[in-house]
Amino acid sequence: MNKAALEKKYTPEMPRKEIDELRSTIKAASQRVIAENIERMKKADPHRPEAMKYFDDIADLFGQRQKEIQAEKEKGKKVIGYMCLFAPTELILAADAIPVRVNSGWYDTSKLGDRVVPVEVCPVLRSTIGAKMIELSPFLEQSDALISVLTCDGMTKLSEILSDYKPIWGMNIPRVKDSTQSLRFWKDEIKHMKTQIEKFTGNKITRKKLKEAIETSHRATKAFRRLQDLRKGPPVIMGRDAMLVNQAYVWDDKKRWTEKTEALCDELEKRLERKDWVCPPDTPRVLVTGTPMFWPDNWKLPTLVEEANPRGIIVADEQCSGERILNDPIGVDEWSMDDMLNAIGERYLMASTCPCFTSQDGNEDRINWLLNKVKEWNVQGVIYYVVRGCMLYAMEYTRVKKALDKINVPIYYLDTEYTREDVGQMKTRVEAFLEMLTARVDF
Amino acid sequence: MITVGIDLGTQRIKTVVLKDGAAIARAQAFAGFDPTKAAEQTVQEALTSANLKLSDVAAFIATGSAMEMAPYNAGTVSMMGADAKAGVYLFPKARTIIDVGAEEARAVKCDEKGVMTDFVVNERCAAGAGAFIEAMARALEVKLEEMGPLALKAERASPINASCVIFGESDVVSLIHRQESKPEIARAVFDAMADRISSMMHRLGINPEVVLVGGVAKDEGFVASLNRKLGLTVLIPEYPDYVGALGAALIAATRAKEGAK
Repeated sequence: MNKAALEKKYTPEMPRKEIDELRSTIKAASQRVIAENIERMKKADPHRPEAMKYFDDIADLFGQRQKEIQAEKEKGKKVIGYMCLFAPTELILAADAIPVRVNSGWYDTSKLGDRVVPVEVCPVLRSTIGAKMIELSPFLEQSDALISVLTCDGMTKLSEILSDYKPIWGMNIPRVKDSTQSLRFWKDEIKHMKTQIEKFTGNKITRKKLKEAIETSHRATKAFRRLQDLRKGPPVIMGRDAMLVNQAYVWDDKKRWTEKTEALCDELEKRLERKDWVCPPDTPRVLVTGTPMFWPDNWKLPTLVEEANPRGIIVADEQCSGERILNDPIGVDEWSMDDMLNAIGERYLMASTCPCFTSQDGNEDRINWLLNKVKEWNVQGVIYYVVRGCMLYAMEYTRVKKALDKINVPIYYLDTEYTREDVGQMKTRVEAFLEMLTARVDF
Repeated sequence: MITVGIDLGTQRIKTVVLKDGAAIARAQAFAGFDPTKAAEQTVQEALTSANLKLSDVAAFIATGSAMEMAPYNAGTVSMMGADAKAGVYLFPKARTIIDVGAEEARAVKCDEKGVMTDFVVNERCAAGAGAFIEAMARALEVKLEEMGPLALKAERASPINASCVIFGESDVVSLIHRQESKPEIARAVFDAMADRISSMMHRLGINPEVVLVGGVAKDEGFVASLNRKLGLTVLIPEYPDYVGALGAALIAATRAKEGAK
């Protein structure tokens, strides 16, 4: 390779010694955070389902799952990482490769990202850059290539910066959702990605393989929806536990995740029969929407809500780190290659409620999702969570607030950063909000 | 029935003693390094001035950012909940309460019972709160309590940035370099704060009548700027800095009555 190819266009050269030292310090801190988060989740529910043990293990980002992926890699499998949920994971599976999401939830690495981009930039991106600089994230390191869907401005530029390290495949997603030319364009992107993945892995995506992958997704969606449905009534699972299960899907083996989630649901159904609630049924029911919350560090809001005084419980979310992952099935009519690819295109574009979209009536799909969740899941209050620099979510707030004001459901805008230092201030606000919801329940 | 409300703020601890629905004694102290001890002192002082003993108190409720450090196993209520309760108690028609303290500015909407229905808090910077005035007074080399009277003497307004205490201070320095007069700079400081608080209020929606409480409500310079900005006259109670503590004492009385049922 010539020198020009090795030269990094965006990121600074760091001495090997510094990389290794920073990684080992931050990794150790992260392992403590993972252990503490899980400990607190165990404490929150004295009858925590047995099936959660499995997801606790998957949540150890430096543990079993990454070893498993490493072993598969050694056998010749390719790993394809992605940031945004629009990456068509079924195509990756059908090419016998491993899809894994690589967004970063580490607070400490966002400070390293500051060496590359200013602090005004969304911390999710700064943290991902920082994680790459010190090779912290096992899944990002294992990725042989990354699919970067150009959603928000930050994601678009992140993919350029990460191209210092990995082959990046940009997917150009249209911003206007309700137009036929958008859908046509996006379906072409999907077809192009199929060719790209086939070329890279050397595996042809056959009709049979793709059908199998879509069916795997269907079964996962079914289990996923079963879990969310169990959160509709009096609480049988802590919000944090359900959120961890949802998020684990993006790292885990899809078939095994589905099995384990079904097993969890079996347990929860028994719990429902016993009326063994995780907290009193009059505990305020909260929905969280806004910026994604990535494990492990960015778990402060769910922890605050569910450990507050008065306590709340998260029964639903509208986040791409949560329920948006698997909510919508791929609607296939005929199992021809063309039809399957079209169905994948439609599922990833049309079902999304990401604020990067607009349509004739703004991001109406998001409003409808929220209103439906509030109604069906008996949500008493909504926390609108935004990290500094997350402009699209920040700008959609007033629209969402107006829609919720109309149905008399309180909403609170909570802004924060990738830091532990503001937990005290956040706590004051979250507790005041929950107190307000409790007062409404009392009437 | 005697109840006590303690407001453990970031700078000061305020205590109110309530007897049968009326505030009969008050005391305050610097929070300092040991807020628990400072709170105990204010409670003792207030009770003594009312010829009461600790054993006379039916219930304690604490509020404020350090409420968990309150003595006497006090229960807690959020600052917003306490403001709403006391705001409507003091001004029965009030439906919006603005609380500007040392480090934080808040606005609360409430119903006729004094139960909050919505609230906003200023973003994570003290530029909209009392600490900003203190920092700017230092830059102008005047005493904190001189800032208000100074601002009222200003003949015109010079805009400054109050998105951040640090930026605000450098803006004030450039006004000094431009040789603006002290009254005008003082007014600019209050206008900038009022600007921030008013945009926060507009996000919440303003329900008249509006009550202004918290230590900064005692600053006439700020009050003038805020009234101008909001286009109304805010109501200010006699002891604006004790409103959080009063709300806590009122809620203590309600909870004690409910408990007795």
